[in-house]
This record gives sequence, C-alpha cells and structure tokens, in this order.
Amino acid sequence: MIHLINVTKTFEPNTVALKNINLHIEPGEFVSIVGQSGSGKTTVARLLISEIKPDSEKGKIVVGGWDITNIRHRQIPMLRRQIGVVFQDFKLLPKKTVFENVAFALEVSGTPKSRIHQIVPQVLKIVDLADKLNRYPQELSGGEKQRVAIARALIHRPKILLADEPTGNLDAINSKEIVDLLLKINEFGTTVVLVSHDKDVVNGLKKRVITLEDGEVSQDQKVGKYVI
Amino acid sequence: MFLITIKRSTAFAIQSFWRNIWLSLATIFIIALTFLSINFLVVINAISDSAISAVKNKIDVSIYFKQDVRESKVAEVKSHMETLPQVEKITYISPDENFAVFKERRKDDEMIQEVLQELAGNPLSAILIIKAKNLSDYPEILKAIDNPAYTDLIDKKGYDDHQAAIENINIITKNVKKGALIITIMFIIIAILIVFNTVRIAIFTHQQEISIMKLVGATNGFIRSPFILENIFSGIIACGLAISVIYFLLSLVQPHLNNFFVGVDVNLIGYFNSNFIIIFGSQLLGIIILNIISSSLALGKYLKV
Repeated sequence: MIHLINVTKTFEPNTVALKNINLHIEPGEFVSIVGQSGSGKTTVARLLISEIKPDSEKGKIVVGGWDITNIRHRQIPMLRRQIGVVFQDFKLLPKKTVFENVAFALEVSGTPKSRIHQIVPQVLKIVDLADKLNRYPQELSGGEKQRVAIARALIHRPKILLADEPTGNLDAINSKEIVDLLLKINEFGTTVVLVSHDKDVVNGLKKRVITLEDGEVSQDQKVGKYVI
Repeated sequence: MFLITIKRSTAFAIQSFWRNIWLSLATIFIIALTFLSINFLVVINAISDSAISAVKNKIDVSIYFKQDVRESKVAEVKSHMETLPQVEKITYISPDENFAVFKERRKDDEMIQEVLQELAGNPLSAILIIKAKNLSDYPEILKAIDNPAYTDLIDKKGYDDHQAAIENINIITKNVKKGALIITIMFIIIAILIVFNTVRIAIFTHQQEISIMKLVGATNGFIRSPFILENIFSGIIACGLAISVIYFLLSLVQPHLNNFFVGVDVNLIGYFNSNFIIIFGSQLLGIIILNIISSSLALGKYLKV
C-alpha cells in the first residue's frame, strides 16, 4: 500500500530530515510511526501527501500503486482525495458548521449536492456526531473537533488514513475515544498510519510500531512499543 | 462537473462575502473611492474640454471687403476659400445685413443714430466669416486670403485680434492635457496599489481556509475562482455605489457650473450619460482585470503547498 524506498529528504540549507529510509506498509495495516521531535516522522507524513518532495537524485515513494516521487502539481489534488489526513490542530474552518466542514471535502471535488446530503450524515454517524451537524467548531470539545476532522478525512472513502499527532491536543479520555475510532476505521479495512509521540496511545494499541531516530528507521516491530 | 464547479465557486464567493462582511465592505469602500478619484479626473477633463471648445468656437477669421466690391466678386472669393481643406464653414454677410445688425446693436447710441440718418446710403461692406476645422489651420487660411488677386478687394482681416488668444489656448490645451495625463497615471498607480493590497489582505485572512482546501484535494483553479468572483462582486457593487454618488454630486454641482461658466455649455450629467458605457465599463473592466491579477499573484504563494 505504502512504499518508501531509499528516501532522503534534506531541508535547506543542509538539515537532513530523512536518511535513506525504507518503509513498507501493507493494505489494512495499522502502523504507528513514532520518534522524538525532529526524528523525521512528520516529514514522512508530509512526503506521503506530497506537501514536500524527496531529494530528487534518489529514492522512490509509492502510494496505492501510484509512484508519487515526481508527482505533477496538478495531480496532487487527486492524491489527496485518496489519502485521508488528520492533524493535531484539527484544521477545521471556524466559519463553517460541522456539516459544512465535512461537506467541503466533497464540494471541492465537484460531488453533486444530493450525494453530499446523502453521504455526510452517514459519515458523521460513524464518528458519533450526527446530532451536532449545525454546530460551529468553537461550540465543540477538542475530541469532537478531532472527530469532525476524521469524518472529513473519511468522506472520500480513502484506502489510507494518515493521522499526524491526532491526540496531541486532547486529554486522556478524548485521546482514547479518538484511538478507538481509528481502530474502528482500520477494522473496516482502511490502512491507518498514526504519527505520534504519545507513549500511552502507542503502547495501548498493540500494533506495528516503526521508530524513527535522527531521520533513520531504528526499529520496526510487528507488535511494538514506544521504547525511546 | 464544470457547471457544479462554477455554481459552487459562486456559492462559496457569496458565502465568504457575507461571512466576512466587514472586510467585504472595506474592500468595496476602497474600490469605490478609487472609482470616485478617477471620475473626479473625468469631470475635470470634461469641464476643461467644454471650456476650451467653447472658446475655440468663438474664433474665426472675418474678411471685410471694400465698399465698392460687387457681390459676385465676394462670391468668387467665397467659392475659392471653400475649396480649402482647412475650412469648415463660411458665412456670408451682405452689406445690408451688416448694416441692419450694426443699427440694431447701436440703437441706444443717439450720436451714432444721428450720424446714420445724415448718411445717404449704407456705409458698410460685405463680410465673410471663415471658421477653420482646427486652430492650427488658421495660418493656412490667412495665407490664402493674402492672395495678391484679392488685395484690391479686401479692406481688412479680422484675425489679428485673435492670434494671441489662439496661441494661448493652444498652449493651455496642451498643458491641461499633459497635466491631466500625469494626474491620471498617478491615480491609476495609486488605484493599482490600493486594490492590490486590499486583495492581498483579504486573501491573507483566508490563508487557513486555502491550506485546508489544498489538504482536502481542491484544485488550484477551484481555490482561486471564489476569490476572483468575490472580488468581481466587490468591484461591481463598488462601481454601482460610485455611480450613485457621482450622479448625486453631479446633480448638486450642475446648477452652479451653469452659473459659473456663463455662455459655455458644461453639461456634465449629459456628458456622463452619453459616455456611460465607456467611462464606467472601462473602469469596471479595469478593476476586474486588476482583481484577477492581484488575486492570482497573492494566492500564488499559498497554492504552492
């Protein structure tokens, strides 16, 4: 499903974020990418959605059978409709309601209105927000905001869900709810990539853990723990 | 799909317009002020053009024939002058008409009336009044009048009195046009800077929305179009507002202009009415093009991610 082959990423002027790393994630897996700040885990996430490109001279990134190493600018929207992304800061539009925030992802891809009104309530039901369609983000708790973001990420029925520190702004109870939701999404067959430095969250999962240290893969355990 | 995108971009533009109403009003206000500034210049140009053309209309060359010259000879001179390409119009005033006008004009002057009663016949001669197409054509016409064949027929020319005035008007016209051009360029530069920065600020306030649009897979065209449409709405509303204010101000100023420029037809409302499409259409088009360029440039850095 996801293959990073000999990928190196250097930021100007000479900060090497990833050093020749190799990662292979199979369809339907739940993988946690962990590491301390500056270890390169967020760089991996940014590479997967083509927010940044790897160093040009070597390496290859394949997502869902699509070589995105040298993806064209106009192809990026298509890639991002195939990967659901969730961030620590939720990235919700404050002037749009819960329904509008989720519908937004369909509107930008030209989905007809009737279809939007059919799909959005279904996805909001999955994240248990069916009764808060008309609320604005500022009227929601942190956990609810993150669930809206997850609903938006799921709206295109992506094969991959990339969650970059999704529990970073949440308390323990809300974090547990979000992790349970990610597990539920994984059970439906979606590949989940969780980027996190939250030991409790990662250790509670009992799933595959890839540990990054100084831009290199230091450990890759089938049922791993956050040990740094 | 294409229709859905257009419809949705328009809906987003309207939604953004209302949800950021204060920013929208500020943008409209600034664009309307720009329109007003440019149209103030249009007014100045219209007034100066009217005044200059009124003075120009008063300029002509009068040929006073000797008293004994027969009408057929005057007609001959008239025919010859009419062949000149520089001549727009020639008016013939016969000795009788000349005399009648003179008497009418001096009817309150008793001394003149007494002298005229003592005279047996008409002491005045025929006159040809020649109007040129352009001010610069008068020297050619004067040269034609100085033809040796007509020296014995012509008593005097009535142009020397206007020569200095014509030269002054030519200088004033050129200077006014030069000044107006410089002021217009300055206003256009100021307008471009104001509109460009207003659009940049509007887009800066939407940067979070743009990054989220990119994140959920919106194409650059889809992201750009609501901003461009929103700015076009602002431009159209600002243009409508400016037109209302301009016509209101013109209706207040027009009566005073008529009093101030006595004898000169300065009809600003008529001028704006007859040039409505050109004046406001070109300004609206300019603002729309400026908005599209500003939006595209300002959005550029946010669309790279």
